[in-house]
Amino acid sequence: MQALLSFDQSPPISAPLRFFLTAPLFAMAAGGLLLWSGPDLFASRWTPAALALTHLVTVGFMLQVMLGAMQQLLPVMAGANIRRPLLIATVVHAAITLGGILLVAAFLTLQPWLFGGAVFLLAVGVMTFVAAAAYALYGVPTTSPIIRGLRLGLIGLGVTVSIGLLNAVSLGWGLGVPLAKLANVHLGWGFVAWGCAMLGAVGFVAVPMFQQTPSYPSWFGRGFAVSTLVVVALWTGAELAGWERSASLLSIGVVLVAATFALTTLNLQRMSKRPKLDAVQLLWRVAMVSALLACGLWLLARVSPTLAQWQGWPLLFGTLLLFGGFMSVIVGMLYKIVPFLVWLHLQNLGRGRLMAPNIKKVLDEKQIDRQMHAHFCAFGLLLLSVAWPQWFVYPAGLALIVANAWLLRNLLSAVAVYRSHLAKIEALDASPAAT
Amino acid sequence: MLQTPADKIIDGRGLEPPEPFVLTMDALGVMEPSQKLLLILTREPFPLYRALQNQGYSYQTEVTMQGTFEILIWRKQF
Repeated sequence: MQALLSFDQSPPISAPLRFFLTAPLFAMAAGGLLLWSGPDLFASRWTPAALALTHLVTVGFMLQVMLGAMQQLLPVMAGANIRRPLLIATVVHAAITLGGILLVAAFLTLQPWLFGGAVFLLAVGVMTFVAAAAYALYGVPTTSPIIRGLRLGLIGLGVTVSIGLLNAVSLGWGLGVPLAKLANVHLGWGFVAWGCAMLGAVGFVAVPMFQQTPSYPSWFGRGFAVSTLVVVALWTGAELAGWERSASLLSIGVVLVAATFALTTLNLQRMSKRPKLDAVQLLWRVAMVSALLACGLWLLARVSPTLAQWQGWPLLFGTLLLFGGFMSVIVGMLYKIVPFLVWLHLQNLGRGRLMAPNIKKVLDEKQIDRQMHAHFCAFGLLLLSVAWPQWFVYPAGLALIVANAWLLRNLLSAVAVYRSHLAKIEALDASPAAT
Repeated sequence: MLQTPADKIIDGRGLEPPEPFVLTMDALGVMEPSQKLLLILTREPFPLYRALQNQGYSYQTEVTMQGTFEILIWRKQF
């Protein structure tokens, strides 16, 4: 029997795909920025080029993929359907893409009107999505940790972007808010209350499902997302109130919560039933080890004055977390989500007359492996660039462009499979037997 | 564990999507109208629910203490 899935449970394929296909372009632009700015970018985390690079990855790559993936995950994993998904996707994608470009231009030029444009567009894009997703989740019973995690992750995203917008307005117009302190709070919310909570929710289902591991322990499902939000909120309160001792202790709690996710996932991966690691497992493993190293580095910088004085440690921390952690895991998830999307839509469009292609044939495994190695190569060169920027920044920029052009090529090959199969279905519809 | 006996059981734990979905729909296609199928998963299969409703099946889901989802599926009687 040919299985049919319901279309109203799944947004049109172009809704999430536009986000996935845009993300590698931003990562390639990040590589271009490295080539353009050269070693000076690594002078400090506060250089305009370093801030622009960070946001090319966080807003241009991470935000794009996470919002695109949520459009797909909400109906499939939570039974929550976003109303008018194509309209929402069009508005959100256009707003965050243009907003991301303006934000990067604003960091590089420090023009107030660019910050203003970026603030407006990113606010429109993210808040439209948060409102649409919150409405879809409203009334959905919390039957699994993923639903709780997605809800709390949305709160994390909303707060992250709100603080970021306040910072951008302040940078553009010199409002006199404590920028460095707010930037750290923005980072804490972005990396832990949004990134980790969302990843924890998705990983809770995706890691056992795709990597044949045991399930996450029940305490993790019950408490992880709530813990991230509570500890980050408490730390933010202490930080903004100026309670230095409490803020310092709570900030350690924030890092330990993130480390717990990485350690738990690595432990599960150790128990995988798969005889051989595939690309997705490797990408997750590198991501979790990178996240753990980033957490360790952060804790070490708290106790070692020598390390704390080194201008490069925040850059090393950021490289581990962004390129090694989030980018690796996101690339891995794309290699699972995109073939599923293609299969799902072709299965529906075939209406039982033409079988959808085998999901494992949608993307060539050899190409996935090669792209993964290119990504690891770029990550390694970026790490070396932090210590020896004059030697490694140009190869790192080039490698980042190559790895993400390859990612784009792989994603486009899945789109090509979709189009060619769709043409066969349309030909079948037009044939005399169909009429 | 659901108390109603099932004629066929599909343990979808450890299978990658869409394999449990395809196995379930294939099994339903060859089962007698009076027979029941039990699907065991580690997640709630929302897309499957919709497909079952569209194709004239009823289902009942129970969550075990271990967090496993057990979905009993049978053809609607008209």
